[in-house]
Amino acid sequence: MIKNIRATSIHHFIKATILLGFSLYILQLTITGDILQFIVPQLVIYVKIAMTFLMIVSVFQYYIAILSLKKTVIICECGHDHDHVFGHDHSHHSDKFTLKTGFIYGLFLLPLLLGFLLPNQSVANALASNRGMNLIGVTSHNQGAKVEVDGNEDPALRKLFTTNVYDKDYAKLGMMLYKQDVIEMKDKWFIEKLQSMNMFVNNFQEKEIKITGFIYRESGLASDQFIIARMGMTHCIADISPFGIVAEAANSNEFPNNAWVTITGKIGKTTYKGQPVIKIEVEKSEQAKAPKVQYVYPDWEFGSKL
Amino acid sequence: MFLSNTAIQKDTPTKSNRHYLFLISLVIILLLYISSTVGFGSIWTSSKLQLFKMMFISVIIEAMPFILVGVFVSALLQVFVTDQMIRKFIPKNPILGIIAASVLGIIFPICECGMVPAIRKLIKKGMPLYVATTFILVGPILNPIVFLSTITAFRNQPIVAFSRMGLAFSVALIVGLIVYQFVNSNQLREEVHSSHSEHHHSHDDHSHNTVKNRVIEVMGHSVSEFFDMGKYLVFGSIIVGLLQVFVSQNSLIELGKNGSASNLVMMGLGSILSLCSTSDAFVAQSLQTIFPKSSLVGFMVFGPMINIKGILMMLAVFRSRFVIILSIFVFIFVFIGTLVLQSFL
Repeated sequence: MIKNIRATSIHHFIKATILLGFSLYILQLTITGDILQFIVPQLVIYVKIAMTFLMIVSVFQYYIAILSLKKTVIICECGHDHDHVFGHDHSHHSDKFTLKTGFIYGLFLLPLLLGFLLPNQSVANALASNRGMNLIGVTSHNQGAKVEVDGNEDPALRKLFTTNVYDKDYAKLGMMLYKQDVIEMKDKWFIEKLQSMNMFVNNFQEKEIKITGFIYRESGLASDQFIIARMGMTHCIADISPFGIVAEAANSNEFPNNAWVTITGKIGKTTYKGQPVIKIEVEKSEQAKAPKVQYVYPDWEFGSKL
Repeated sequence: MFLSNTAIQKDTPTKSNRHYLFLISLVIILLLYISSTVGFGSIWTSSKLQLFKMMFISVIIEAMPFILVGVFVSALLQVFVTDQMIRKFIPKNPILGIIAASVLGIIFPICECGMVPAIRKLIKKGMPLYVATTFILVGPILNPIVFLSTITAFRNQPIVAFSRMGLAFSVALIVGLIVYQFVNSNQLREEVHSSHSEHHHSHDDHSHNTVKNRVIEVMGHSVSEFFDMGKYLVFGSIIVGLLQVFVSQNSLIELGKNGSASNLVMMGLGSILSLCSTSDAFVAQSLQTIFPKSSLVGFMVFGPMINIKGILMMLAVFRSRFVIILSIFVFIFVFIGTLVLQSFL
């Protein structure tokens, strides 16, 4: 009997420690900023709340564990559910350390061990070839009645960016980019800008563009072509995929895969997977440092911020 | 009754121990295999391991807030809501009940990681199985957040968002009715049903209703629920991580891009990737140049309903047989649905 009580307390302590481990791990990630390697910025606040909750629960769990050391009563009084970790058998088998309990604790320790021991490395590039480049929004031309964007833009410009009702925001963004001398692809609205330019490919011919990203290659590209891309994340790493532009350079073999470069060039036109898309004719390139957070995130409400 | 019960209890630990022994030996074999082919030194720095680690932890962290909400709600239900209250709330008419369950998602927009723990408690407290099934299937899809993200992703084709909602609702309705008609209502994993509620009543008689005790009780339940559900989440995340690392999306896509084959491929992809239903629309959108829209709807309906993470979570609640049958039914009806949509979209 005494053996049983001890085992129960140990279980309580282990659980409390695992909970504390998770909350400390998340705390570490938020302090170092590495949390953005795992999830999008919008989710960070929820994860912080979760971390706080985990910490509070863990304190209570330690309290329960200490109580269970002193008196056995608490386990029988309201502890009938506390022992459910191992599959709801109400017998006291669950208090013993079996292969099964070891396996389950192991499951919970695995992410903690991996998390604390292995460095957080960006995996942005590693997945690129797994996924295939994203060509968002290029199919939208042939649908719906054509409309011009309202506003006080030059009428000729508005005519150039005629689109359907749904893509008005991209037309607006397109007009903004059109007026720039050099279109710079930075973290902000990377995906949206790309989408806008691919929607109005013909309007952007011969324009200057500057982009920083990593190099990768896919089958089906010509020998003087490669892709310069960023990894876009909409929620967590499970859904990341590359967003990029086909680049053309005579010295393309000087651009190794996974290298980060800044490329300046003229916008041209090519087809990728049967769709007309923009390409860059490389004029100038220099090595770039990989940013600390390598992902770009879609902005759902970019239209209202224009 | 009593005798058979003890017999089961004596039996289960050894049986399940055997399962775990099997699993552990499988892991050891895998480790040995890997070490013999590449050596442990290189594993530690291998990019595949790094990728797996990032993917695995990302999925867990992303699900953490949702599962905690679910666990906490479940603990509150356990402590403060009686079985009678639940029964009073659920409509007697099965069709009304199913429709009510479908609409419930609109009020409680949480994804399946949060849903499952709460549902389990509700079933134990007397929510009919068909209502629970409908809610689990339709909840992750038919809610305002998911609708908004889908219509944002497919902003130039709102019909896709409406098809997604419509198909999810129809499938859940049909499957709910089938469960109502043909499935024995006792499909919970453990048969603690009766003993549990008994326990709860006697529990109330103790009348230790002080605030302090209640708080401790809620926290204690939260912890046990967290570990109970969490082990399935972690295990699911491991599988998702492994699949994402070793199975390339491109090779899956090569399996079929046209016709009904593409519907199957996309449904398969949806359940393998186990994305949260709020983000899968963006992934679907990125594939719209390759796949017909009907298959994308299949991806966005079947994926959230039946995926690896979700199946493992469901196994925490239901018997394996029920989970398998449920998956098959959902698969059949979603597939039929995509075939119908093919002629419209």
